[in-house]
Amino acid sequence: MDPVAVPVEQGLALAAILFSIGLTGVMVRRNIIIILMSVEVMLNACALAFIVAGAKWGEADGQIMFMLILSVAAAEVAVGLGLLLQINRRVGSIDIDETSRLRG
Amino acid sequence: MSDQQLVAILPHILLSALILIQMMVIAFARNLVTTVVISIIALVLTGLAFIPVHSLIPIVVTPLIVLDGYAIFYSGLILMSATAVTLMAYDYFKDREERQDEFFMLLLLATLGALILVCSSHFASLILGLELLGVSLYTMISYPRKGLLTLEAALKYLILSGVSSTFILFGAALIYAISGSLGFAELATIGSAENGTGELFLTAGSALIFGGIMFKLSLTPFHMWTPDVYEGAPAPVTAFVATVSKGAIFAISLRLFTSSGLIETSSILTGLSIVAILSMLAGNLLALKQDNVKRILAYSSIAHLGYLMVAFIAAGMVGGGMVGGKVLAFEASSYFLFAYFITTLGAFGVVTIVSLRDHEKDAGDISNYEGLFWHRPLLAIMFTLTLLSLAGIPLTVGFIGKFYIFTAGVTTTLWLLLLTVIAGSGIGLFYYLRIIFAMTKRTDASVSEIEIPLAGGCAVAAISAAMLLFGIYPAPVINLINNLIA
Repeated sequence: MDPVAVPVEQGLALAAILFSIGLTGVMVRRNIIIILMSVEVMLNACALAFIVAGAKWGEADGQIMFMLILSVAAAEVAVGLGLLLQINRRVGSIDIDETSRLRG
Repeated sequence: MSDQQLVAILPHILLSALILIQMMVIAFARNLVTTVVISIIALVLTGLAFIPVHSLIPIVVTPLIVLDGYAIFYSGLILMSATAVTLMAYDYFKDREERQDEFFMLLLLATLGALILVCSSHFASLILGLELLGVSLYTMISYPRKGLLTLEAALKYLILSGVSSTFILFGAALIYAISGSLGFAELATIGSAENGTGELFLTAGSALIFGGIMFKLSLTPFHMWTPDVYEGAPAPVTAFVATVSKGAIFAISLRLFTSSGLIETSSILTGLSIVAILSMLAGNLLALKQDNVKRILAYSSIAHLGYLMVAFIAAGMVGGGMVGGKVLAFEASSYFLFAYFITTLGAFGVVTIVSLRDHEKDAGDISNYEGLFWHRPLLAIMFTLTLLSLAGIPLTVGFIGKFYIFTAGVTTTLWLLLLTVIAGSGIGLFYYLRIIFAMTKRTDASVSEIEIPLAGGCAVAAISAAMLLFGIYPAPVINLINNLIA
């Protein structure tokens, strides 16, 4: 059975929707864990866009970028969660407004 | 990979190996002086390894990396600043923390990221360098264990830097979807040939990349994180963020936009001009009402990146190959960045030295500097010199930098931008002089307790000397830039 190819436009549209959901999450939510999750959603949206684009050209480049993004996201979230633990220990809250001391 | 290519990336291989060695030394024999000495040796050796590369340039090493004069010049700048920051950080951390050694390893890792960034010619190496630099920086900002400000600054930087990376990545994905290539040079061939959906993707992609880069360079309207991060981060790390991180990202964005031809799109140029004008005005105006020296320097850096964008736009106006006006624009941005690097390092070097006596928080408030002239005249003179150079007063390196920007703007007739440069410099003088006046106040303030440390003191003195020397006699640097870039 032939695999049915997903059209590039639809794949990229899905990625764009995921990207917007992530961006909205970063801007709207106040809980630091949710913000980090939203950044992760944005990174994965980029990864999906690369996979779709790579499939269009029939190249492995898109999938390699996917793996690169995966490792980058892991490193970023590891540091982010480390900071989160420290903040929670010192402030007793992970709400970004309550932790804020700098003027912005 | 041929022998020549191996020699060309020897600096990067060497630095990576030395980072591993340093990690082992820290694991088995923890000693701050040894760690710092290894750091300095690593930076110097990496710098020396660029000498044999010079005879090979320009050389392409795999599709990911290209080493040319441009990359070598910025690598040299980055290594120089990293050395200065290492010396400052040694003074800063030696009495402050229990475990300071890993900081110097992170600093080397961030430097490696910046070095990869300036010679990358492909989106994969761009992301690799960007994240190596970024992830090390988050940890460096939050390194001091006391106080909440550092944690908050690190978290803000992490979230905003992460979001801006996703912008760059999504833009790259869109461009890849229509061009089928991730290398910068290959993009130039497809740039204008597309129409319909292709053109939409191209515009959206370059706008996203452009937005992400504006975030990273803290250009208005994406500058909000800068003052907070500058204030919260330890002073030596602030110096690193302001110089190495921004300089490397500027270098790669200039390479990306000029070699791919994306910059020649008129909508991008208009956007860039608006952003440059806004940054110059907002940076200078918002600095007026600050009372914190680190925040003033943050807003001043926003304005300086605005000035730098004038040269960026000039490079885009000329278009085509490396001829006349384009060479001038590259020369101008390189000299301006050189001036900005040493001036900023000098300013944060002084802030670091003044911060040494209080282990709880950095000397941000302007009152910490009152009476400095009467109690520590040398330090005050060096700080005055850096502030005058930031303001662009003649006989300092900052003046030559600004003059170059001006020349690049005049040859491409960017009058509106140049008017804003003048207005911005005028406003800037006010808040720089405010710090200088504070230093001349006669008070019995505690500044007399300040002790000038050996390592940081030498670094700041050398930087101040360079600032004067290259302000009066800029020819050596100009010749170097001409040899490497033109």
